Amino acid sequence: MATEQELSDFLKSVEKRAFKRSIYHVRDEEAALDIVQDSMMKLAQHYGDKPASELPMLFQRILSNTTLDWFRRRKTRSALFSNMSEFASPGDDGDFDLLETLETLNNSEGTESAQDATERAQILHEIELQIQELPDRQREAFLMRYWEEMDVAETAAVMGCSEGSVKTHCSRAIHALSKALSAKGIKL
Amino acid sequence: MMNSPRKRAAIQQDRFGLKTAAYLSAGSADLPYDISERLRAARVQAVSKRKIATTQTAGGIVNTGGSAALTWGTDEGLSWWARIGAVLPLIALVIGLLAINSIQDDSRAQELAEVDSALLTDELPPAAFADPGFVQFLKATRPTVTAQ
Repeated sequence: MATEQELSDFLKSVEKRAFKRSIYHVRDEEAALDIVQDSMMKLAQHYGDKPASELPMLFQRILSNTTLDWFRRRKTRSALFSNMSEFASPGDDGDFDLLETLETLNNSEGTESAQDATERAQILHEIELQIQELPDRQREAFLMRYWEEMDVAETAAVMGCSEGSVKTHCSRAIHALSKALSAKGIKL
Repeated sequence: MMNSPRKRAAIQQDRFGLKTAAYLSAGSADLPYDISERLRAARVQAVSKRKIATTQTAGGIVNTGGSAALTWGTDEGLSWWARIGAVLPLIALVIGLLAINSIQDDSRAQELAEVDSALLTDELPPAAFADPGFVQFLKATRPTVTAQ
């Protein structure tokens, strides 16, 4: 059974990535925070007595399901109250504040030159935009496989699909990202 | 050797994926202060509502057993009721076993009786006279029958 400290450490290690992942999916900061908070609560309330080794898989599955629930709720709400403002995407280019990003990068890494920091911020911004453009399943598979460092079998278990599907989703996502980034003159 | 171009492509894909993930990790480390604080608060709230397993430890069970054995003869007020309560299931078990035994005996005797009566009342098949053992049996029993 995971101790309180182990649970806290685990949540601390995943909360920021979970938040960013949710933002890539829902493109709404408040919604992403709600999703992560709900997921943490569900994990602690229902699976707080599980061994620490089982927590990562459980959390990924809960996060995916909570994100799906959010989409379902939004779909229902949109059907009830057809409000066009809800369809506006907050993840457009206009939201990106380069100065703000530069400031945080400079604060965190004092040794990095301004040019490098700008370049890194631009690449990150482009990557985030292109990830948001990916189809949902491809994005989910790609992020779990490479960002969460889960293997193919674990990703398949969380996504509820075959290992072959995970490989196909990842491959397509990488091709799409690589093509889009190359078109912008970015080479990783 | 046939797989080497495919393997190379897979390795390149993995490398690209990991590089992209490295950028994402760097980006996620620098979240605004208010977001980090809200995440921290959510984490603390979640941990405070952690489900705690209610399994009984082996030590606890052993201790309970020990105390039960010690209180068996000391608590006079409850001892008679406790003894009756403990003995009742045992008596029920013994009665049940005896009942099962007698029922089984009865049914077995009944089955044997049925087989015997069926043999005695049934007509003797002609093939039985061709059986040397049966002929021997008839010869051996004939003197006693005639004697009677």
